[in-house]
Amino acid sequence: MAFTPKKVAYRGAINAVTLGTGDKAIVIGGQNVLPFYTFDAPIENAPKIGVEISDCAGEWTAPALKEFYAGCTTMADYAKKAETMPGADFLCLHFESADPNGKNRSVAECVADAKAVAEAVTMPIVIMGCKNIEKDGELFSKIAEALQGKNILVLSARSEDYKTVGASVALAYGQKVGAETADDINLAKQLNIMLKGLTVAPTSIVMNVGTAAVGYGYEYVASTLDRVRLAALAQSDADLQMPIIAPVSTDTWGVKEATASEEDEPAWGNAEDRGVSMEVSTAAANLTGGADAVIMRHPAAVAAIKQFITELV
Amino acid sequence: MALKGLDIFKLSPKKNCKECGSPTCMAFCMKVAQGAVAIDKCPYFSDDAKAMLNEQTAPPMKTITVGDGLKLGGETVMFRHEKTLVNKNLFAVPVCTKMSADEVDTKLADMAKVDYERIGERMYVEFVYVKSAGDDADATLELVKKAMATGRALVLDIKDVEIAKAAVELCKDGKPILNGATPDNWEAMNAVATAAGVTLGVSAGNISDLYDLVKKLEGAGNKNLVLDVTADTAKETLANAVQVRRTALVDGDRSFGYPSIVRVAKLAKGNKMLQIALASMFTERYASIIVMEQMDYAAALPLYGLRQNIYTDPQKPMKVEAKIYPLNGADENSPCALTVDFALTYFLVSGELERSNQPVNLIISDASGMSVLTAWAAGKFSSSSIKKTFETLDIENKIKNRTLIIPGKVAVMKGEIQEKLPGWNVVVGPTEAVQLPKYMKDKEYEAAAKAAAAEAAAKAATTVEVKELSFDELLATKVPAIEVVDMGVKYGGYNPESSTFVTIGERIHCISPVIRKAMDERDPAPILKRAAEQIAAGATYLDVNIGPAEKDGPERMMWAVKLLQENFNNVPLALDTANKKAIEAGIKVYNRTNGKPIVNSADAGSRISNIDLAAANDAIVIALCSADGIAKDNEERMKHCHNMLERGLSLGMEATDLWFDPLFLVVKGMQDKQMDVLNAIKMFADEGLKSTGGLSNNSNGAPKKVRPIMDSALVAMAMMQGLTSAIVNPCDLRLMETIKSCDIFKNHTLYSDSYLGDRPDLL
Repeated sequence: MAFTPKKVAYRGAINAVTLGTGDKAIVIGGQNVLPFYTFDAPIENAPKIGVEISDCAGEWTAPALKEFYAGCTTMADYAKKAETMPGADFLCLHFESADPNGKNRSVAECVADAKAVAEAVTMPIVIMGCKNIEKDGELFSKIAEALQGKNILVLSARSEDYKTVGASVALAYGQKVGAETADDINLAKQLNIMLKGLTVAPTSIVMNVGTAAVGYGYEYVASTLDRVRLAALAQSDADLQMPIIAPVSTDTWGVKEATASEEDEPAWGNAEDRGVSMEVSTAAANLTGGADAVIMRHPAAVAAIKQFITELV
Repeated sequence: MALKGLDIFKLSPKKNCKECGSPTCMAFCMKVAQGAVAIDKCPYFSDDAKAMLNEQTAPPMKTITVGDGLKLGGETVMFRHEKTLVNKNLFAVPVCTKMSADEVDTKLADMAKVDYERIGERMYVEFVYVKSAGDDADATLELVKKAMATGRALVLDIKDVEIAKAAVELCKDGKPILNGATPDNWEAMNAVATAAGVTLGVSAGNISDLYDLVKKLEGAGNKNLVLDVTADTAKETLANAVQVRRTALVDGDRSFGYPSIVRVAKLAKGNKMLQIALASMFTERYASIIVMEQMDYAAALPLYGLRQNIYTDPQKPMKVEAKIYPLNGADENSPCALTVDFALTYFLVSGELERSNQPVNLIISDASGMSVLTAWAAGKFSSSSIKKTFETLDIENKIKNRTLIIPGKVAVMKGEIQEKLPGWNVVVGPTEAVQLPKYMKDKEYEAAAKAAAAEAAAKAATTVEVKELSFDELLATKVPAIEVVDMGVKYGGYNPESSTFVTIGERIHCISPVIRKAMDERDPAPILKRAAEQIAAGATYLDVNIGPAEKDGPERMMWAVKLLQENFNNVPLALDTANKKAIEAGIKVYNRTNGKPIVNSADAGSRISNIDLAAANDAIVIALCSADGIAKDNEERMKHCHNMLERGLSLGMEATDLWFDPLFLVVKGMQDKQMDVLNAIKMFADEGLKSTGGLSNNSNGAPKKVRPIMDSALVAMAMMQGLTSAIVNPCDLRLMETIKSCDIFKNHTLYSDSYLGDRPDLL
């Protein structure tokens, strides 16, 4: 009796969400199986890779990364260069310097940067804030307004500010909005319900359900991804069927494995290799768990994950 | 552990006749499952049932032990949130007969360089994967010898039967895996493996052939197998790994219930970063052994970190090691800060301390992985446990500075710690970690340390040796006289013979600052107020939590018991503290008119001796069905239940004086375990046992308006299952109405239109 493996295809499916416009527009989500389970059913849209560009990118130290962006000074320079990175599908503009407890750059300056980037590139744009609720609220609204028609994704609305961010980004300016929660499936569902309550369309929502570098409490991320995906597919829970985006680079490039110099940790070898491997491993783990898009930084890491996705889809 | 006690119980006669020597059928079945008793001891098990049991006894996935005790497989679930993943994936690095001797030496030497510890776990490459090209017997044997010399376990990838035989002969004592069986050679290769008693690796061109091959090997009597699921592409390999696991665990087909080998080295084709990506995926998705081309630190740091996270037991809190963590270049002259070993607390506190840039020794005290307040309330973070940490770690001699900053949330312990650690200047730090950078930078602790030193010196000058007083002496000298105050509420009395639901009011608890202060100051008013509210709302028992009360527990408890009973018609009480002497003292002054005192609580772990305490004092005891952390399933819950039941019975207790607590779990986070808890209650009830528990824990963190609704629904379901009591907030009107209504439906009380009491609003 020949063995034939059973197929498991679910009634529920992940929403397909389009980001950007024109030829370079991308679609994330759409599948009705677990990540890379092509043996159950084909994957509608391969996961996508976003390249992080920060307004603090000048402070990055990894040699090959610096070399890649050699000569870039403005955010638009970086963005144009990032578009040429093999494996890149979209760009993520990270406005770290807006933080009032840091450099406190003005909203006007950040908006000007975003506009300059939008004029210089054709790839879809994702906006990441500075984590300060008040500043982000203003920043997100102004950028969403300035980039109207570009179909950008703004990261993120949180339980503290979903009303203002959801209303301005998604409702007033027709952009896509991220729903950010920290490793808690119940909160993730709650936030989606609240956004829908504001009349934000489910297909305008992308989730960030929590991030961590591998080794740093990643078990919470892994189980949240598993549970969110199983709820969306097996239970057909429409409040959790939004595609998932995982900002990877901001976590991985800050942990000791990536930052410790070779003098401090002689046994560990080349620091840049460690930074890349932490980013690669964390991105692969996220994609395996349920992320439909990852945000990464280093060209070598992006190339490896692009290859990884190509091999599996 | 092949057999599950609960499965056996389903087939048991359920007579509870005790002829087998066990108190109940359930207890007997649990013993059979553990192999402690033969099933023949029961005269009533049918032959059919016995035969069926034998068939059902095998676990869905085998645990294979190789090398020096390395365990593979044994998994029971597809996802880590469902239960615990059992055996972490292991790593291998390959050497091959096609490599030169120098290449082999270099490779093995490089492999050995990665060997370090991370949160208490050794991180290294567990296996050398020895690959024979197939026509090179001598070279293969040389290679095996070199691999053996590393001291690591071996996987032999040898498809030639003769070479395999010689190689296995060399290394069989080290319990290698012979990854050699294919559809072409399986009979002969199987003979080699079984003769030498080693685990056989199985591979085939596709998953159907692999399945057929396993069937043949099983038919030949070999179930000591691992499956090499590596295909030509990563895509097909993932398909194999998932389908093998799914077939075994979801479909229950044990022919695929074996550990898997995935050779990512083959799939990555020399692309080092791709290899790390694939290894990350197979760590999450079902490889038992991952073969990497090489393991350097760039690969090891993320992969071992990921593995440690994925294989963390979700039922147990992540604990960090109790020790001194010198931060920001701290040395023996730097001040000390103290907190608990809960990993999240540690990461938060150490992060904020690092941000202060001030040298400080962070001392982590053993607190069973609980957060500060929870550990304090449970008596796991007390002056005694802190003293023990100081002794174990020899901090007295390792650190010269004598400033000790304690968490602001346990400011109440300052005096006790000061007493237990003479010579140290105990300072109360901030209540939240985020306040630490400022606190450290401003050196706020310096003045406080000086004040503490002065205070200690003054005290030392006046202290006289105090002898320990007997309970009677304490009562006479340390317990303030009780004044009876008319609170306008009278406790109506309770008949312990009645089968109505017992509510234990939870509102006199030291985690509440108001109650804590009142207990400290022996101020009756706030305690009487809460007692009156609960009694008016219909509580049967009142819980009295006096906190860990290490210092003055006995007089505290005696005072609280007398205060409540003398004011409220001898209301029955549950005595709730980690201090045993305090419970004993409380029972000494306890009046039993309205029922026995309840000891809150014992468990099947470190607190099991509270059952002895209850037995010696003819008290009821709340028996938590847990030992080290929450029980992972009902198998474990019932095991704990029976351990405690037998202990109680052997000490002469009535079974009904042990009230078993399944531990209600919070819906937010443990939604999928709720039915387990409810089913456990049914099992208690089926054995005639009583049950109780902190029911409202289910709705912790839910909105205030929703909690009564959830609690009411759960209590109704739990009462249907046979719950006989609960520790609740009796002032929750909806909950109390539900309980009274359920008692009507259960025919425990007689219906009348006014069964809810004097409620004109409802009539």
